[in-house]
Amino acid sequence: MEVRLPDGDARSRCAELVLPHLNSAYNLARWLSRNDADAEDIVQDALERALKYASGLQGTNAKAWFLTIVRHTCYDWIGRNRPAELVPGDGTDAIEAAADPRPTPEETVIADADAQALLRAIAALPVGFREVLLLREQEDMSYRDIARVIDIPIGTVMSRLARARGLLRRSPLLHSVLPQSMRTVGK
Amino acid sequence: MNCNEAAPLLPTYGDGELDPMQSAEVEKHLLTCAECAARRDEQVALSARIKRDVPYFAAPPSLRSRIDAVLAGTRGTLRSRPVWDRWRWLGAGALAGSMATVLAWLMGSAVLEWRDGTDLAAEVVADHVRATLSNHLTDVATSDRHTVKPWLSARLDYSPPVQDLSGEGFALTGARVDYLEKRAVATLVYRYREHVVDVFVRPAAEGTARSRSPVSTVRGFNVVRASGAGMDWLAVSDTSADALTAFVARLARGDAAP
Repeated sequence: MEVRLPDGDARSRCAELVLPHLNSAYNLARWLSRNDADAEDIVQDALERALKYASGLQGTNAKAWFLTIVRHTCYDWIGRNRPAELVPGDGTDAIEAAADPRPTPEETVIADADAQALLRAIAALPVGFREVLLLREQEDMSYRDIARVIDIPIGTVMSRLARARGLLRRSPLLHSVLPQSMRTVGK
Repeated sequence: MNCNEAAPLLPTYGDGELDPMQSAEVEKHLLTCAECAARRDEQVALSARIKRDVPYFAAPPSLRSRIDAVLAGTRGTLRSRPVWDRWRWLGAGALAGSMATVLAWLMGSAVLEWRDGTDLAAEVVADHVRATLSNHLTDVATSDRHTVKPWLSARLDYSPPVQDLSGEGFALTGARVDYLEKRAVATLVYRYREHVVDVFVRPAAEGTARSRSPVSTVRGFNVVRASGAGMDWLAVSDTSADALTAFVARLARGDAAP
């Protein structure tokens, strides 16, 4: 199976497989970095890395492959620029300690109070929970692909998802708005 | 199955990741247990809210032009590099092929002009890619076929059959109107696992010979054609050709059509 392609071919094939997932890449980078300009830098950097390792893409799942690179690039970037967000240590415990309550700029443009509360609650999730939740709910990725992207066992995907949803459900930010019937604020 | 057994499986069930045997067991339990059913509903509601209310950040045009520059072979500080610089690379012949391919991707519809206008598969793939890249998959987003069908009928001079095949893994997520061979056609949008499946439906062609293989692959996307229920069906997705073929055949058969 592993045919070594000439460099140019591998690059163009890689670009062809990866580019349809540019939106997913940007969305992930944007949610992890929470900044437009940084997310652009990250995705560009990730694409350059992807092209460099183009031969590593065996055509099985370009999206998971590319998002793995995007995520790595994000974490490198966060490590360089905002190391406080990454608590050293392993897995979930460390992630749980890294809650980040800073408001995000997009909150201000969302008119709907319910949506705003949900957004704030998700942005406040520790980054490790945020990424699992968004890969699942926004990208509709399977547990298996999420496990690949984050490089954790499927069981850990499931437990992090459960924790993320539990945190959201119990989030004081969301508490008053979960029942749809309680919507009180219109535009 | 009792609550203690069912409760830990509910999230996995809600994500569609339980095996069929376990799913059936959970479903049976949900019919008789209001408490677990409420928990399931809560998860469904939360997922729906995230999908509806949480912004999805599509790649902005500024990023696309930077990517364009990367692919043209330039590196480093790309933000303000003048356009002619990239052309010089092209002139040098560096990665011209990759540039052409990638431009086709990025421009989506522009590819139509380059290609033979009769190449239907290329056209539907271009439509599919454009919708995916612009993050505008549906004009009407609902899994209710009784909403989708009248919405389409009101915008077209025909009324395509609309089915939700969630039971078979293909969940209807909505529809849009596309242009195909210079006429407006219905595009039904389904989700199959993480894949987006576009199904183009139009009245059966009047004698246009399209005798080529029903399955073709264009730039990594599978395109599968079928006829049935008085319509031509074209499904496009990056999912496997087999799954797509079975799905289109099922649609064209139209068993559950109203």
